[in-house]
Amino acid sequence: MYGWIYRHLPGPTPVRVTLALLLAAVVVTLLLFVVFPAVEPWVPLNDVTIRS
Amino acid sequence: MAGAADGDPVDEYPGGVPAGHPVQDQETDQARDREQGAARRGARRAPGGQEERPVTGGLAGQVPRQAGPPAGRPGGRPGGRAVPGMAFPYSPPSLEPPAPPLTPARPAWPEEPARPEAPLPLDDRVPGGGVPGGGVPGGGVPGDGARDGASASTGDQPPPARSSRLGRVGGATARAVGELLITVGLLVALFLAYQLWITDLFQARSQSRLHDRLAASWQAPPAPPPPKPSQPPPAVRPNPAVGQGFAVLHIPRLGEDYAPVIVEGVGETQLEEGPGHYPGTAMPGETGNFVVSGHRTTYGKPFNQLDELHPGDPVVVEVSDRYYVYRMTRSEVVAPDRIDVTDPVPEHSDATPVEAVMTMTTCHPKYSAKSRLIVFASLDRTVMKTPGAGVPFASGEA
Repeated sequence: MYGWIYRHLPGPTPVRVTLALLLAAVVVTLLLFVVFPAVEPWVPLNDVTIRS
Repeated sequence: MAGAADGDPVDEYPGGVPAGHPVQDQETDQARDREQGAARRGARRAPGGQEERPVTGGLAGQVPRQAGPPAGRPGGRPGGRAVPGMAFPYSPPSLEPPAPPLTPARPAWPEEPARPEAPLPLDDRVPGGGVPGGGVPGGGVPGDGARDGASASTGDQPPPARSSRLGRVGGATARAVGELLITVGLLVALFLAYQLWITDLFQARSQSRLHDRLAASWQAPPAPPPPKPSQPPPAVRPNPAVGQGFAVLHIPRLGEDYAPVIVEGVGETQLEEGPGHYPGTAMPGETGNFVVSGHRTTYGKPFNQLDELHPGDPVVVEVSDRYYVYRMTRSEVVAPDRIDVTDPVPEHSDATPVEAVMTMTTCHPKYSAKSRLIVFASLDRTVMKTPGAGVPFASGEA
């Protein structure tokens, strides 16, 4: 998968590496600020309240 | 001669071969030697197969890879091929096979056609061996023929090809599974990083906003109350909407700058912004139980060190015009469903409250939601805000 993506990136190696890093950064950002906050309520690690 | 023998065969080749060879012929009358190496200077000393390599390598200076094959035969042929100009008497035997070397562009191939010679005699011999003069133009042809022959010879290996295709499929599957596992691992690690650090950023931002709003709301109205009554003015009971900040918590033992804004509500959204007050329980200073929950390991971890409080430690709740100084009384770890700790008189559901107490809850142990850590405090005194005075007990116990 990673190899496939890298092979489909255009340009010479430096450009490819830059693009790959950018791509990774975008994915990480999306995960941290969109996906994880949305998923978090279903991960019961943070329950601090008392409920019956 | 010694120089020739010790010298680099490649360098020697152009001039050294013709001169050196005749001598060699005299010393050793093995036709094979000459056949196999036109520039065989070192062969005399060490006639082993190893010595033949540099020779062929030297000969095939333009064809470096031909030197690679340790087999004497393929290497020998190119040698023989070159010989004709120099040692013609012995060249004829080597003339027949030399066709392959005419395709130096593909050094690896000459070896192959050597074996399939039998199945492909015509293709190889007609152009290559038959017409030495036309060998140059024809050389390309035999080369192609040789290549075809080589491909034909690889045709002997479809079974390996198939199995390798199976191997490729298996390898691809294994790689895909491996990448999937790595990805899952990275996701989990990233989620942990998110929980431990990124959520802190979120709460820091929320807290900063809450502080600003609270400060603004406290600045506006507080002036009006009567300047100097003998009795402190009655407390204004805050009536915050869910999600609104209405008090600031100070716990001197957790640091002078420990001052999270308490928001109304204990939903996920509210707790992500700061410690949350259970709606329906008492307000700060009120008779009854002022219950606050806060995160312990994420979202700013306001209650991370709640277990470090000692009995008697001040827990100061700041509202618009005064400080309520509670003192920690005790703590305990309970199951998450012990709702009675939030009763007006904690753990005594039927009792009627006569004093103002405070209950703080957070998860326990750290990084788990298995139990709850409960810290109780009871109201000690009320300190009115005065200009210039800071938070009471801010610098320690009093």
